[in-house]
Amino acid sequence: METLDIELPRMALLYGLCLLPCLLLWLLGLRMNRDIGISILRMSIQLALVGIYLKMLFELNRPWLNGLWILMMLVVADFSILRRAGLKARYFALATFTAIASSILFSTGYLVILVIQPTHYYDARYIVPLAGMILGNCLQGNVIALERFYSALRRNENEYTTFLMLGATRWEAVRPYFRDAVKAALNPTIAGMATMGLVSLPGMMTGQILGGSEPWLAVKYQIAIMICIFTGNAIAAVVNLKLSLNSAFNAFDVLKDEVFVKH
Amino acid sequence: MSPLIRFDRVTVISREKTILSDISFSLYPGQKAAVCGKSGSGKSTMLKTLLGLHVIKQGTVYFQEKPLTPASVHSIRSCSAYIGQEPVLAAESVRDALLVPFQFKTHREHRPTEAQLIEVLQRLQLPADILSQNSNRISGGEKQRIALARGLLLGKKLYLLDEVTSALDAKSKHAVFDVFSDPQLTVVSVAHDPEWLERCGLVFELEAGRLTQVRRNGNT
Repeated sequence: METLDIELPRMALLYGLCLLPCLLLWLLGLRMNRDIGISILRMSIQLALVGIYLKMLFELNRPWLNGLWILMMLVVADFSILRRAGLKARYFALATFTAIASSILFSTGYLVILVIQPTHYYDARYIVPLAGMILGNCLQGNVIALERFYSALRRNENEYTTFLMLGATRWEAVRPYFRDAVKAALNPTIAGMATMGLVSLPGMMTGQILGGSEPWLAVKYQIAIMICIFTGNAIAAVVNLKLSLNSAFNAFDVLKDEVFVKH
Repeated sequence: MSPLIRFDRVTVISREKTILSDISFSLYPGQKAAVCGKSGSGKSTMLKTLLGLHVIKQGTVYFQEKPLTPASVHSIRSCSAYIGQEPVLAAESVRDALLVPFQFKTHREHRPTEAQLIEVLQRLQLPADILSQNSNRISGGEKQRIALARGLLLGKKLYLLDEVTSALDAKSKHAVFDVFSDPQLTVVSVAHDPEWLERCGLVFELEAGRLTQVRRNGNT
């Protein structure tokens, strides 16, 4: 069963659909047309570029090229996580990279090599989209983990210092904030799993069904990706927070002010 | 006898501002000292520097004649109790607040009994039923005495008090005085209370981060 192509004239018809909400917003007095136009243009160009690149990646299907693509995604995710968490890359880039790289390699590797078992483990058709989906979710989780942890620590600096004065080691003193941050990072994934299929049909499953897969196969892949997202997210958040402790404190266990991006 | 605390030409700079400048003094075991000065003169910084909470730009802080280093800071912290104006109790009930330190590995084996908790509260003029109260519902003065009780339960010998008497009524203030009349305990306090200053053997005057005067009251 082939997916029906959307030819160019019908693509134009599709873009035409945007005129309706634009008209509605304009009638409401909301002058958002410029922003909407830029967003639609950016989406189209970015996806077209990804399309060209993925087509090439799938045709060549070389292990080193696939690896390079994943490496690039990891580096971009690394800097994006730290920027959104308000932390300086100079201090945390290595910790965050190590955390996301190890968790993505582990969970994608587990899924592809042990569970899916394609002829070539480096097959771009499997590892690129799966690693991308896991990484996209890890990105959200790690931003929440780092942001929650360090803002809680700054807000409760007196409490943290009190713990140190009462005989806690650095690890014992940060543990309450550490636990809260990991919980906050994982909650959206756990809640997502609990409502999966009830509230909306998950993206990957919809894609597979449209792509011609049997619903049962799509369901199995959706379960596989959710378990790997959860695993990858948990490993990345815990490893990232733990490694970040090495750069965030001075030798006297005091949180360094210079590690935060000043607003 | 060697000093318990010695500041040797200590300068502390924070955010490009000099907070303490060239401070030198010695304090012997059992002495009670007070630090006076206007707000922003560096009084609290002086207490916190001893605990390794500020980076020392120049000079050295000695505790039991050993320099303050990342390796020695844990032993200094384990001997001292810092009690601020609004101490953090870090637990829901007063009982849990008193037991916070005993969840850490260093103190896990020395968890006090209920009788010991009540005894220490009585020394500080606090009723036994305060144990089951919510930490957020008790007054500032009570919080300070709970924090003090926590230090006493840990057998701390050095007390760094930041404006502790300001929130206490006369009766509880005298209870605190009685606790610190113990010659085993060394006290450095930021204070303005005349009655408190009178009881301190040493009074340091700070002005814009400099130690301008050291008065000896002669009773220690």
